[in-house]
Amino acid sequence: MNKLYLWGIIFAAVMLLLTYLSVGGSEGGLNDDIVNMLAVAGAVALVIITVFVVIKYVRQMQTDTADGELVDHSWDGIGEYKNSVPMGWAIMFLGTMIWGMWYFTIGYPVNAYSQIGEYNEDTKAHNEKFEAKYADITGERLVDMGESVFLAECKVCHGLQADGIDGKAANLNVRLEEKVVKHAIINGANNHLLGTEMPMPDRNGLFNANTNEMITDAEIDLVSKYVANGMTGAGADVFEGVCASCHGADGKGMEYVAPNIAEFTPELVVNVLNHGKKGAIGAMPKFDKLNDKQKEAVGAYITSISSK
Amino acid sequence: MFHWLEKHPFFFAVGVFVTIAFAGLIEILPNFAQASRPVIGTAPYSTLELAGRHVYIKNSCNACHSQLVRPFKSETDRYGHYSLSGEYAYDRPFLWGSKRTGPDLMRVGNYRTTDWHENHMKDPASVVPGSIMPAYKWMFTNNADVDTAYAEQLTVANAFSVPYNEPVPMKDGSTKIVKMGKNLAEARALALAEAKEIVADMKDQDVKDAVARGEIPEIVAIIAYMNSLK
Repeated sequence: MNKLYLWGIIFAAVMLLLTYLSVGGSEGGLNDDIVNMLAVAGAVALVIITVFVVIKYVRQMQTDTADGELVDHSWDGIGEYKNSVPMGWAIMFLGTMIWGMWYFTIGYPVNAYSQIGEYNEDTKAHNEKFEAKYADITGERLVDMGESVFLAECKVCHGLQADGIDGKAANLNVRLEEKVVKHAIINGANNHLLGTEMPMPDRNGLFNANTNEMITDAEIDLVSKYVANGMTGAGADVFEGVCASCHGADGKGMEYVAPNIAEFTPELVVNVLNHGKKGAIGAMPKFDKLNDKQKEAVGAYITSISSK
Repeated sequence: MFHWLEKHPFFFAVGVFVTIAFAGLIEILPNFAQASRPVIGTAPYSTLELAGRHVYIKNSCNACHSQLVRPFKSETDRYGHYSLSGEYAYDRPFLWGSKRTGPDLMRVGNYRTTDWHENHMKDPASVVPGSIMPAYKWMFTNNADVDTAYAEQLTVANAFSVPYNEPVPMKDGSTKIVKMGKNLAEARALALAEAKEIVADMKDQDVKDAVARGEIPEIVAIIAYMNSLK
């Protein structure tokens, strides 16, 4: 047998032995794990193929002789045979060029990954799913959604119980607190509660039709309590004389004129979310990042807790 | 020249490096310059806001709060639009942070208000039950360092041409002019005027009194800074 083959077999055997020792000696070994076994099988195949391919080329170098027609030109003493281009190589070469042109003009520009692109696709898919899933949501489920949005976005100011955390924000369990009403009467208000610019005058513009005079301090106290108590108690006559012409006799407001001050409505809440507001307690920023359905849901939730 | 390069492999290698580096630069630099330009709606910090930013850095707020909204739906739902590099054009240094023990503050000015910050800095757990953020009571008594803020304004205006006293385009098509005092006295007056607007929405009587006396407690400066983060 050729000495080269002998050395090849010895070398392959040593490599296989080392592989076996290294795998068998490591913790767990093959461990009946299909992935481990595949890896070892791959290693064995690699060793055998490598050894015999190397042997083939070493033998070729030992035995081959050069023949063929030399080209006329000599490059500093180095000649070159006239060989035709191998077909397989030529096909690969042309194929690579065509692929390169495609990749340069279409492949990369159209298919390139972009983080923002992925974000846009995610957002689009999520929004479509949200719309399809919640298009017809009403009643209890809408209130539940409103509660979950409230707990995510609103509770940091209005509190878990929506009680405004000791006056840090509006208490949403009641429509209006006395100091809020009083502040609005004395200073006027323009909080886009109807969705449009629609200012309420300050006390210098509030005329009591019953007494034919401007509203007085005593009347302000009285009517503030009346509104804060849910339109009950003393002060009904002041309300009728001063406020009812815009807010309606029952305080439920008039379209395009004045908002409902007797109870929360979903529309009112949505307008506050869209425009924010500023009043006796402080400023509330707008929350227009919520989508329409979420705003509607928050409106339904606040309406439901305040009417309990 | 090429013949010479063929005979001098070292200089040939240098030539290859320069050629490839040049190709890299002309691809990277124009994009980089474009992206680091301030986006529309990004204005320089006023004196008081910068003083607040110094308070923010001094108290290591950036150790728990990031200022970088990543482009994921879950983040943009919570914090608003994802951050753009141009929005940091006037941040020296940027305060991206590397860990969110607390929430991101990149756009906190959009959804929190002056009086909320006041309550929160005094006693975080009173507005956020279970919050592990410590109270920062000393901010209500320590005074903000307006002089250093003005020095920084002067430096960045001269060294980086930050557009103070010049109209800056805003998102709604209007322009905004961020003023910088001509001298220290003017800068202090501007900061105090701004502080007065902030304390009008605050409740702490000691802070109100301090501003009426002409002092600027740190809490006023940091609220001005928080409100500017949009």
